[in-house]
Amino acid sequence: MFRIFIIEDDAKISSMLKAHVEKYGYEAAVLEDFDRVMERFESFQPHLVLLDVNLPKFDGFYWCRQIRHVSTCPVLFISARDSEMDQVMALENGADDYITKPFAYEVVMAKIRSSLRRAYGSYSGRQEERKVEEPGGLTLYPERFILSSAGASVELTQKESMLIEALMNRAGRVVSRNRLLDLLWEDHHFVDDNTLNVYMTRLRKKLKELDMEERIETVRGAGYVLRTTGEESP
Amino acid sequence: MRLFLKEHIPLLIVYLVQIILVGTLFWLGSDTHSVSISLYSAVLITVLLFVYLTYRYLSHRRLYQRLSEPAGTLDQSQNEIGESPLADALHELLENQFQLYQNELYDTRQRLALHTAFINRWVHQMKTPISVIQLTLQDMDLDDDEVEGSLQEELDKLRKGLEMALHTSRLDRFEHDFRVDAIPLRSAVQEAVADNRRWFIRNRLVPDIRIDEELAVYSDAKWFHFMLGQVITNAVTYSAGRGERVVFAASRREAETVLEITDQGVGIRPEDLGRVFEPYYTGSTGRNYHESTGMGLYLVREVCSRLGHRVEIDSAPEQGTTVRFVFDARPVRLPV
Repeated sequence: MFRIFIIEDDAKISSMLKAHVEKYGYEAAVLEDFDRVMERFESFQPHLVLLDVNLPKFDGFYWCRQIRHVSTCPVLFISARDSEMDQVMALENGADDYITKPFAYEVVMAKIRSSLRRAYGSYSGRQEERKVEEPGGLTLYPERFILSSAGASVELTQKESMLIEALMNRAGRVVSRNRLLDLLWEDHHFVDDNTLNVYMTRLRKKLKELDMEERIETVRGAGYVLRTTGEESP
Repeated sequence: MRLFLKEHIPLLIVYLVQIILVGTLFWLGSDTHSVSISLYSAVLITVLLFVYLTYRYLSHRRLYQRLSEPAGTLDQSQNEIGESPLADALHELLENQFQLYQNELYDTRQRLALHTAFINRWVHQMKTPISVIQLTLQDMDLDDDEVEGSLQEELDKLRKGLEMALHTSRLDRFEHDFRVDAIPLRSAVQEAVADNRRWFIRNRLVPDIRIDEELAVYSDAKWFHFMLGQVITNAVTYSAGRGERVVFAASRREAETVLEITDQGVGIRPEDLGRVFEPYYTGSTGRNYHESTGMGLYLVREVCSRLGHRVEIDSAPEQGTTVRFVFDARPVRLPV
């Protein structure tokens, strides 16, 4: 299991990051004593470090240099400082990436995953594959875009996988169109209402292959909901 | 020279009166009433006057030059202005004034720097609580997706507000804070649109980007992004519920590249149009929208003028507004 070391002086942020990182199957530790950064680093032997810039006593750049003396593990900066200068400084002091506050979990997780993959290869010490489940019996393997139920499975496109994952995460509750549009609007490509309808139609067809077509329900004026079995429409 | 002559007109008049007076006296006093003695005295007096004036002019030339040509820059006032007692006294006075003025200026600059540093620090401090709220919101996994969307919207507003505060305070030290590069226009616009995507989605608006892949402009990426953000925010806010799309179109005409951002919103009244770039000016439309600070377009114009771009605005009430950025084909030169 990959170990992630969190060096951040805001206790709330660090504990939330820890909880989230652990949810994704990594082991995480939060630095508590800023007098013993390197000691803690040596004893924990992390595979990756999340590092804030503004820290008590010495700044993150300093600690990044210290870490670089003993390790080549990926270091990701997380900082409120967003100037070009700070980012250049971070990279020059040996960082691998820079995330600015305020940030969303997805960004941090995506950068952690890609840094780990780059540093340790995609297969070495590989995590157990991530899978998303819901009470209705669907299982999604978001890394392979495979959706399965009761032994049968269908292949999805990336967008379809993102949509069904959002619906499964909130199974039984309405997911607003706004949230789905936001989700699909990645890499600069705009997705409008009609395109979302098209994606949903395709997704329903795929669900039909699993005999679950009627599980996605349209809630007029709000969004979509993935019905959990036996539930009545409101 | 003119100042010198003007200054000495009373003296010339006094001398003229004197010549006439003395000439008349000599004429009356002499038995023969001959004119020659009077003329002789007049010539004598005139020569004396001219000798004096020449000396005076030569010794005060620099002072007069100085007085008739106002200083262009601050430190010119330190130049020597001659040796005469009058020039010396004036020099001392100027120097004194200059010193006092310098002290005052230094104090003010110091205060401004302190203030800028404070704003900077404060904005960064505020980002941590915003991060905490952002993450908590995600962790809470609210049952009502609408509530979460609405909270997210408020968070986005906070983030934008901070961004604007930061950029406003950075404007004062602009020269330390920008770097001109060739920026691919299409991807810069896409990035700015993506940054505001929740704002588009919530207001049911479609961004329509019609920009050639190969168009590039010389600008500072960060400031350009900031300006686009301001214009996009306006376009979306003022066309929510009436327009369908916000069009981003670019074209090249001769040495210039033009980027036009057009909305189908409420538009701006002709009487307001001339003043939209003034700070804190919200106009009659802005007052109906609570979030108008009146600072957005002002900042855009300030940044544009520093980067050597032009920004223009066209609008027809009830039909929409077009904001136009005009970029020079050549890279802007850094202001010294």
